Amino acid sequence: MSEHHITPLRTYLIIAASLLFLSGVTVWVSYVDLGPLNIVVAMLVATVKASLVAFFFMHLLWDDKKNLTMFLMSLMFFGIFVTITLLDTEFRGDLDLNPEVKDPINKRAAFYDTLPLTDSHGHPVDEHSDDHHEDKDHH
Amino acid sequence: MSENIKQNYLNHPKGLMSWLLTLDHKRIGLMYLVSGILFFFLGGLLALVMRMELAAPGNDFISNETYNNVYTLHGAIMIFLFIIPAIPGALGNILLPLMVGAKDVAFPRLNLASFYIYSFGALFAMYTIINGGVDTGWTFYTPYSTQSTSNVVPMTLGIFIIGFSSILTGLNFIATVHKMRIPGLTWYKLPLFVWALYGTSLVQITATPVLAITMVLLILERFLGIGIFDPALGGDPVLYQHFFWFYSHPAVYIMILPAFGIISEIIPVHSRKKIWGYKFIAYSTLSIAFIGFLVWGHHMFTSGQSVFSQIVFSFITYFVGIPTGVKIFSWILTMYKGQVSFTPPMLYALSFLFLFTIGGLTGIFLGAVALDIHLHDTYFVVAHFHYVMQGGTIVAFLGGLHHWWPKTFGVMYNQTIAKICAVGVFLGFNGTFFPQFLLGLRGMPRRYATYSEEFVELHSYSTFWSGILGISIFIAVMNLFWSFIKKNKVDPGSNPWGAMTLEWTHTSSPPHPHNFEEEPVLEHGPYDYDKVIVEKTYK
Repeated sequence: MSEHHITPLRTYLIIAASLLFLSGVTVWVSYVDLGPLNIVVAMLVATVKASLVAFFFMHLLWDDKKNLTMFLMSLMFFGIFVTITLLDTEFRGDLDLNPEVKDPINKRAAFYDTLPLTDSHGHPVDEHSDDHHEDKDHH
Repeated sequence: MSENIKQNYLNHPKGLMSWLLTLDHKRIGLMYLVSGILFFFLGGLLALVMRMELAAPGNDFISNETYNNVYTLHGAIMIFLFIIPAIPGALGNILLPLMVGAKDVAFPRLNLASFYIYSFGALFAMYTIINGGVDTGWTFYTPYSTQSTSNVVPMTLGIFIIGFSSILTGLNFIATVHKMRIPGLTWYKLPLFVWALYGTSLVQITATPVLAITMVLLILERFLGIGIFDPALGGDPVLYQHFFWFYSHPAVYIMILPAFGIISEIIPVHSRKKIWGYKFIAYSTLSIAFIGFLVWGHHMFTSGQSVFSQIVFSFITYFVGIPTGVKIFSWILTMYKGQVSFTPPMLYALSFLFLFTIGGLTGIFLGAVALDIHLHDTYFVVAHFHYVMQGGTIVAFLGGLHHWWPKTFGVMYNQTIAKICAVGVFLGFNGTFFPQFLLGLRGMPRRYATYSEEFVELHSYSTFWSGILGISIFIAVMNLFWSFIKKNKVDPGSNPWGAMTLEWTHTSSPPHPHNFEEEPVLEHGPYDYDKVIVEKTYK
């Protein structure tokens, strides 16, 4: 690291232009519904932008390779975390006979909203008030 | 020359400010040591309160609510304020630069900053205690932790802050190992304690940021209801457990890896034999650090996670057994045909081998999904992790403290008392926690202040031995401090155990303020008992 890398202005300008372009892509893609890929594309664009900043503006590309290793390791651990967590959330309830439970979490949240409230023993409870409860008992 | 030997890091420079603003890694290590031991006693006191309550069924000593606070604080203090910072912060700080022949760590100011960040975080934890405690358990599981009216926010904020201290210490150690080694001290000539600290530091800087994110998300969930853990808003409470254990399982290795390092130092020195399988031990450290990142879901087998991920996690969990087994067998083979002397550090190391093996093997039981479904949240789990954390880490820490005490303070403690205490710790520990395996197998759930009559015998047995354990540890630590007060000095040039690493062979006891009077020249490897004779000065 004794020699200091001097980046030509041209490179900085190209990277700045790419970042602006990618910001445009982020805005544009938010109007396109890609279904479950929405988040993937948004994260991908953001990762590319962050990497450009780290590599060129923060000189990671010309720096000690150990620093680059650290950077790549952090990406790797992030990948491990997301991938293995998805092994849970994408396959949850896979042994359950109720097909609704197989859906991903955000759909299931809506599904749970349609269900009547129950207490911890599975008995239905009324969320509004006690007198409602009494009415039910009369019926 | 004699003038120089009299001058050591403890007496030069003088004055309170010279300690509070010190950049000397040995003084910072001592400050960690003192605060760590204070928190250890606080956490231990809370443990004894729990055992008192559990001596008999019913709520005769404390109420249910108090009990919830006591076990939460016991766990949080022991883990976040003592075990995680204690070995790297105290022994690591004192020894790492000495072992690599450096004058100090790579970033001394950052090192001091780590200590103050740790202290600042600890203040939040203390505030929690004064302000009425926290009752969620040390894991802060949602949804309860988003609803509990106890002090969840101050405690998690404290843990968030302490995490930064951990990251900075890790960063400092990595830079020190890479950049500060003396010429000739190649990677394979490093003492294994340095390898262990290096592996620990890698885990600290890669895993701890996730803890910070988790704590921030929990605080945001409480204050703003962002809904990431709330199914009604499209969130998922189990996601909290993924976040939490993605840090906290690797954190188990932050706690145990330095202990492995201590054992790798104690066993060859007190057996006077070259360590068996140096490279295997070194690489097993790194592989444990890596595999530790892939197994967090084994804490969640009953959380409702998918069966597919349970199988994956269970399968990967077994892999942890391989590098751990490599270490255990290497240590045993190191002792084989060695001149084993039963000094206090060696007694602790032998206890470690026995206790950690039980802790590790019961971990394999719990890694099997079918068995874990039954044993989850029972005393079997409590016994398992105490065998690893206390029987492993704390016993190794006590062993390390006894091993390096003459080096750190230039004084020798009473050996007979130390040996009796080491035996007391071993017996007290087994007496306390072995019955808990049986309790767990019979279905006693953890985190309850009372229980049904059938468990009385085992619980009262456990409580009785916990007293022996507590007293043994207290006397062991007091014995150490007494030697310091009584100034039972060893010769500054002495090497009581006949060790070969730089901190014993090239500097005085206690060390010079700048570690070495001149840059040390490496003459032999750390465990070359087959090539060089180093005399023991303490018989």
